[in-house]
Amino acid sequence: MEANPSPGENNLNPDTERQEIRSYLLGTLDRDHKTQFEERLLTEPSVYEELLIDEEDLIDQYVTGELSALEQQQFESHFLITAERQKNLRFGKLLQNYVNSHVEPVHSFSFLQTPVRRWASLGLLATILGATGIILIRGFVNRREAACVVKQTTSGVMTVTLAPGSAGTQGSTAQRVNLPPHGVEVKLELQLSKPTFYYYKSELFRENKSLKISDELKIEAKGEQRIVPFTVTGEMLSPGDYQVKLSGVLDSGADEFIDNYSFRVIE
Amino acid sequence: MNKNWSLSQEAFDALLDWLDSDRELAGIKYEQIRSRLIKIFTGRGCVDPEELADETINRVTSKLTEIQKEFTGDRARYFFGVANKVHLEYLRRKMPQPQSAPTDSVRAELEYHCLERCIARLSEEDRALLLKDYGAKGQTQAERRKALADELGISLNALRIRVYRIRTALKECIEKCIQDSL
Repeated sequence: MEANPSPGENNLNPDTERQEIRSYLLGTLDRDHKTQFEERLLTEPSVYEELLIDEEDLIDQYVTGELSALEQQQFESHFLITAERQKNLRFGKLLQNYVNSHVEPVHSFSFLQTPVRRWASLGLLATILGATGIILIRGFVNRREAACVVKQTTSGVMTVTLAPGSAGTQGSTAQRVNLPPHGVEVKLELQLSKPTFYYYKSELFRENKSLKISDELKIEAKGEQRIVPFTVTGEMLSPGDYQVKLSGVLDSGADEFIDNYSFRVIE
Repeated sequence: MNKNWSLSQEAFDALLDWLDSDRELAGIKYEQIRSRLIKIFTGRGCVDPEELADETINRVTSKLTEIQKEFTGDRARYFFGVANKVHLEYLRRKMPQPQSAPTDSVRAELEYHCLERCIARLSEEDRALLLKDYGAKGQTQAERRKALADELGISLNALRIRVYRIRTALKECIEKCIQDSL
């Protein structure tokens, strides 16, 4: 940001201005207003700075599914025209994935203000956390070993619901799935935080080898959850680790990576 | 513009002199005009706005001798007129289809790794602010921001600027991390 007047420090009503900028970004501002706005964009630093912030806000609203269907369509067809904005959208999604997988409570640490108290409190906290961690890990391991996951089997279809896995941690968090019997289809339900595309594409991998690709997949509602269904045959699976890559299909036909899902097939 | 004309150091220096007699300020003004022209071409749906912004600046620079004699007023406005011409010519040309760079899983993994590293480098205060700005589910961005601004005792606009600056720093950190890792 430039060392100039901050956004909102001009004489215009900030709400009106933000609405005008939003319309400009979505390509819906009428021609006369657009020309006037562009001249101001070139000559008034505060307008440019507000535009930069509104771009980020708009991306966040798209990522979190806050835009209306019409705005979403305008966002995809007009706003996402440049590579720079597509890169910013990737960043927005990345950040959202991070936040979704990191519940970090924010506390006030004012009681830890003296060094002695701080170290004593941290030592006590570490001891408690360590003991709790050991108990939880033992319980978790026992549960996982005792109860391998067969989600549901109805009329020759086995349904497995998969949550998006954080990159780099797939091995440790992979969901376990019993080896499906022959003749059974496995419906992988890929959970989605926000429905942002009309069509989706899924690809099943084992040891980086692609086993199956399906595109033109559509989102489905499952209770309050949104999932993308991806069906594979039972014969395709044998004991081992699998990954599913989910992408959204842009209007241009290109893919945009959304998330990876992983599971382990066990006998 | 003469198609063989190219921006020489001498011509660029003349442009900077025209923008401001102070060389440092002139450089800042040049960057400001270029970045705003990029936004204008982006707003008009141009796929390669940087190229069109540079073309606009080159045209102004190539006619600087005439412009200096005739034009008075805010110099940024002159660029706007030239940008309109450049845009009209762009519309007459065949427009390339926008391309979206696919992100492979290796790249996505690297981006996530870099994000984790860069978030860890943020101050505790900035990290908490960023997570809270995104965090609470079931609330809209406006609702989250209002609650957060109230909690921090700052204006909504001040909060938006703070979050924007944190995000910008984070993006730069991630870009650098990715570059260093490739």
